[in-house]
Amino acid sequence: MPVNAKVQYKDLISKQDLFVEQSQTSGFNKYIDGKDKSMGIVACGIAYNYLMENYRNSECPYPILKISQYPMPQELLNRLYEECGTILVLEEGQPLYERLIKGLLNKGKTIRGRLDGALPRTGELNPNLVGKALGLNVKEGFPIPSLVAPRPPKLCDGCPHFDSYTALNEAMKEHGEYKVFADIGCYTLGALPPLKAIYTTVDMGASITMAKGAAEAELRPTVAVIGDSTFTHSGMTGLLDCCVDNVPVTIMILDNGITGMTGSQKSSATGRIESICQGIGVAPEHIRVINPLPSKLEENVRVIKEELEYQGVSVIIPRRECIVWANKKRKMAKKQAK
Amino acid sequence: MKIDIILCGVGGMGALSSAAIISKAALEMGMYMKQAETHGMSQRGGDVQSHLRLSDQPIASDLIPEGECDIILSVEPMEALRYLPFLNRETGWVITNQNPFVNIPNYPEHEAVLAEVRKVKNHILFDADKIAKEVNNPKGTNMVVLGAASKYLGIDIEKLEAAVRSNFARKGDAVIDANIAALRAGRAVADQI
Repeated sequence: MPVNAKVQYKDLISKQDLFVEQSQTSGFNKYIDGKDKSMGIVACGIAYNYLMENYRNSECPYPILKISQYPMPQELLNRLYEECGTILVLEEGQPLYERLIKGLLNKGKTIRGRLDGALPRTGELNPNLVGKALGLNVKEGFPIPSLVAPRPPKLCDGCPHFDSYTALNEAMKEHGEYKVFADIGCYTLGALPPLKAIYTTVDMGASITMAKGAAEAELRPTVAVIGDSTFTHSGMTGLLDCCVDNVPVTIMILDNGITGMTGSQKSSATGRIESICQGIGVAPEHIRVINPLPSKLEENVRVIKEELEYQGVSVIIPRRECIVWANKKRKMAKKQAK
Repeated sequence: MKIDIILCGVGGMGALSSAAIISKAALEMGMYMKQAETHGMSQRGGDVQSHLRLSDQPIASDLIPEGECDIILSVEPMEALRYLPFLNRETGWVITNQNPFVNIPNYPEHEAVLAEVRKVKNHILFDADKIAKEVNNPKGTNMVVLGAASKYLGIDIEKLEAAVRSNFARKGDAVIDANIAALRAGRAVADQI
C-alpha cells in the first residue's frame, strides 16, 4: 500500500549510514597495505583470487582494497585514492566500481580497468588477464591446434523435441523464416543446425507473449514453442492474454512429462495441460495432441498445418516422454524387478 | 606440493565423476582443494571441463592460469587438445583415451588428432575403452583414464579407491568393484611406462 511504502522507504533510507559503516568495519572489506604506492588496486569478489594467484610466490607490492561487501566503503576507498598514484579496478561482470570511482566527470586520477582497456570490456576474468593488467610476465601454454572443432550441446538421440521440430519445420517450409518464437529449456537447442527451427529465446514465457505481439503486428502465421514445465511456470498468463484478445497464434507445448534440462524433476504440467488450456479459454477443438515420432511425421505435419490456418488461438501438444527420463525409469524398474 | 588438473570430455562420459573422486581423496589427505566446472545443458553431447586444483598451501584462484596446468585428463582425444593453452609447456602431462567420440559432422581426421596429442612431450595416449571392456566395465573408461593419471596425482591409490567406494556407494557393490577394477587396470598402464 502506498501509505506503507512511503514509510518503509524512509526507514530504508535511514539505514544507509549504518550499511556504509558496516561495510567499513565488518572486516569483509579489507585494506591491505603495500610499499609501492604508484598504484592502488581495488579487487572485487573473485577478482581478488585472480590477483593473489599472480603473487603466489611473492608479496603484492601495491596497496589492495579487497571488496566483499556492499555498499562501497568510502573511507577505505578514500585512503587508497589519496595514497596511490593510479587506481586499478578488478571486477567481474560490469565495471560498477570503476564507474563509481571515476565519477561522471572523471576529473581526477587515472582509473584503470575494463573501461580503459587494461582489462577486456566483456567476458569473464581469469588470472592471466589480471596478470597482464598488472604488467607482469604471464606464462603461456600451447595454442589450440586448428583442427579442434567446436562441440556444441545438442538434443539427445531419440529426443521427442527433435521429431516435434522436424514436423514444425516441414509445416513452416512454405511460410519462410523468423516466425517461430521459443523459450528456455532443452528445446532451445532447436535453434542450432541441423534443425534451425526457432528464432528467439528471451525469458521463461516470452515465447507466447512475443508471438502475441508479432501476431498483433500482422505476422502470419505466428508460432510459439514452449516446454510443458515452462508453460506452467510462466507461460499460462501469456496464453490468457492471447485468448482474451483472440489473436491468431499457434502455440506448441512440448510435453515430455518432465523438467528435462535441469535433471528430470517433476513437471507441474503433467496430466493438466489440456484442462489448463481449456480453462484459460482455448477452444477444445483447437487443442490438438500429437505423438512426435518419425513414423507419425505426415500426420503431425497435417495437424500443424491445419492449426496454422486457424485465425484464432490454437494449442498443439506434442506428447512423448523425455528419452533420458524414459531410460532412467526403465533402469529403475529393472533394478526393482531384481 | 601443488597439482593443477583439467578433466575434460563430452557430457555423459564421466569426466566430472572423476573430478569428484579426486577431490574427495584429496580432502581425505588434508589437502586444499578448489574446483570449478561447466555443466548443465553442456551435458547433452557438448564439451565439459573441470578445473581442479590441489595443494598443501591455500589456493588463490579458482581457475587454473594458462600455461600452469600439470595434467590434462581426458576421456576423448580432441577434447584434450581443446585445453592445451592451460598446459605447462615443459612439465605438463596429457593423459587421454585415444578413441574419438564423433557427434559432430566436422570431427577432424582421427590420425591427425592423435598426432597433435603426440606432439606434447609428456603424454599417455591409449585405448582406455578396450581396457575397460577387458575388465568387464565398458562404461568405466573414465575410471581407466583416472587410474592411468593416478601415478602423477600425488594421491595414494588407496585413498582414490576409498573415494570411488564412497562416490558409487548408492549404486551397490557390483558397480563399486567394477570401477575399482577399471581404476587398477588404468594404473597398470601407467606403471608399465
